[in-house]
Amino acid sequence: MTLPYTHMLFLAILLFMMGAACAMTRKSLFMILIGVEVMLNAAGIAFVAAAMRWLDMNGQVMALFVMTAAAAEIAVALALIVCVQRRTLSTNADRFNLLKG
Amino acid sequence: MKPVLFLLISLPLLGALILALIGRFLSRRSVETIACTSVAAAFVLALTAFLLSGQKAHSLTLAQWFTAGSFQVDLELYYDPLAAVMALMVTFVSSIVHLYSVAYMRHESGYTRYFCFMNLFVFAMLVIVTAGNLVFLYLGWETVGLCSYALIGFWYEKPEAANAGTKAFVVTRLGDVAFGIAIALCWFSLGHLSVSGINDSAAGLSSQTAGIIGFFLLLAAIGKSAQLPLAVWLPDAMAGPTPVSALIHAATMVTAGVYLLMRFFPIIQGSPILMAVIACVGVITICFGAFSALVQKDIKRILAYSTISQVGYMFLAVGAGDLAGSLFHLIAHAFFKSLLFLAAGCIIQALHEEQDIFRMGGMRQKMPHLFWLFLAGTASLGAVPLTAGFFSKDRILLAVFLQPQTGFKVLWAIAALAAIITPLYAFRLFFIVFFGKSHAGAGQAPISPASIPNRMIWVLWPLAFFSVFAGFFNLSVNCAGNEWLVHYLAAVPGAAMELHASPKMESAMQMGSALITIIMVIAAWIFYGLRIQPSESGEAAFRNKLNALFLNGFYLDRLYRTWIITPYRTTAGFLWQKVDAGWVDAGLAQSARFFLDLAERLRLWTTGRISQYVSMMVAGFTLILCSLTVAWWVFQI
Repeated sequence: MTLPYTHMLFLAILLFMMGAACAMTRKSLFMILIGVEVMLNAAGIAFVAAAMRWLDMNGQVMALFVMTAAAAEIAVALALIVCVQRRTLSTNADRFNLLKG
Repeated sequence: MKPVLFLLISLPLLGALILALIGRFLSRRSVETIACTSVAAAFVLALTAFLLSGQKAHSLTLAQWFTAGSFQVDLELYYDPLAAVMALMVTFVSSIVHLYSVAYMRHESGYTRYFCFMNLFVFAMLVIVTAGNLVFLYLGWETVGLCSYALIGFWYEKPEAANAGTKAFVVTRLGDVAFGIAIALCWFSLGHLSVSGINDSAAGLSSQTAGIIGFFLLLAAIGKSAQLPLAVWLPDAMAGPTPVSALIHAATMVTAGVYLLMRFFPIIQGSPILMAVIACVGVITICFGAFSALVQKDIKRILAYSTISQVGYMFLAVGAGDLAGSLFHLIAHAFFKSLLFLAAGCIIQALHEEQDIFRMGGMRQKMPHLFWLFLAGTASLGAVPLTAGFFSKDRILLAVFLQPQTGFKVLWAIAALAAIITPLYAFRLFFIVFFGKSHAGAGQAPISPASIPNRMIWVLWPLAFFSVFAGFFNLSVNCAGNEWLVHYLAAVPGAAMELHASPKMESAMQMGSALITIIMVIAAWIFYGLRIQPSESGEAAFRNKLNALFLNGFYLDRLYRTWIITPYRTTAGFLWQKVDAGWVDAGLAQSARFFLDLAERLRLWTTGRISQYVSMMVAGFTLILCSLTVAWWVFQI
């Protein structure tokens, strides 16, 4: 049995919205990062779903690419957070407002 | 021939370049040596070229200058008897003025600048004289203007000198613009710009075309030669050093306008109306200059107005078609006027920069050599019989009288009247300065003739010699001469040189003018030498008014100030304060303020909170995607 395409898209949309809401509302850098990861994975699900719908392997390849990019991104982002945390002793995103207008 | 002519114009240029580039590292002695040598060498070369060329016209191309499509301009020279005589005169007077300047400028610190511009001037003047096409001539024409500007304003710390330089530059520029138009007209109506080509094909022009081209050439000449209505710059140009006045504003540059008209005489000849206009300009200017010179107090201004008047005679001669007479007077004038200026420079320096003739007086005992020099110049200017000025001015009057039209008889009468005034103002100057009591009590600076070096006076003797004897270049037949200049110039295009006057008439004219001149000299002696002033009666007020009219050069300056300069200033002020500052600038400032306000509001968006930025980004993306969806839905793209 296969899931209908629309279901999978709804799942992706739901995940994406949750991730976006997390990234938008939380103040901790870690939580923002997690939100971004969730959004990326929602995109990955949409790709895989599309690959199944049209029986095209390019979608799965794209999903692999997304995972790779996410892994790289998380590595860099964590390093940045460590750096920032050492400097300001905080992981609160609202503390970093030097470019405030 | 080619190397001689090439060196003739390039040596002064070389001198100017050396002085301009490395002049500041050279000693005073070497600067003076370079300047004088280059000009003296140019004189020797001019003499060589004169002897080599005979009466032939030489056209030669030195190099290609620039090309634009079919329009090609070369650095080409055209050397014919007219150019030969001019080149000789220019280099001769320049050499003497340079030698004189070494002594005259001995206390000045800007001598390198001075000699550099003097050399450049000689180069530019020789370019005017020998240029083979109009564009090259224009180069020289503009460069003499530049040198004139720079040398009038030599003492640029003095505001009146700087202003006089600017005035001369701007006023002559009006003529230069006309010259530019004339060049363009020549190109479009004749198809070439070379001097020989223009003169050869000028006969094919219609009377109107020739008149229009000639009119613009006349305007150019009027500007350069300080004729009415552009005469106002020359009296002010006396703010420059006296040798500059002698060389540029008496002998050479102001006669460049006349030379231009002589050079392109075949064009001018094509339009009888234009000839009459030139003659009228000449005659009116003669009177203007003569009357103004009669009452001036400043020795250099007297000579300046007299220059304006004498150049008017040259214009009159061109208008009467008498090129030889015009050139004859030009040469004679160059000798006696530069002599007078240089001698005046000696007096001015000896009297510690005093220029008012009524504070000189009694110079005869104090400077006996100068007395004789000045007498030679004055006699020639006043056309005392047997001097150069006598023969040249007489020839011009005769040529005008012989013109068949009635109008020229009127012009002759006016010019003859002015010729009566000429000895009056010339000898007025002479008697007041050299005779009478020295006004030692009247606040006059103590005179010290020993303070000027003798070589300043010695170098003037050749000029004095030619002032007196240059008449023999063109001695008329009835005076046992053979009219050498007339025969020499026979090959110049458009020149009908022989006057064909009956010897009886010629003699009568000469006797008449000789008699009148002598009477006027005696009158000048009575009025000014003996200081018997005309009685102060009821007409004093009228005389004072007339006096003021002449003293101020017929209020020409005031006229221009009221009708041209002031309206121009007002318009410029309006455009500046109302249009530019009021509208353009204010409009720009307003729009700048608008964007400043906008930025003030927009910066509130950068709150410094990352979550807000992310929200905005999501909202933005949503908006874009929604609109794309709608577009796809509605327009089925």
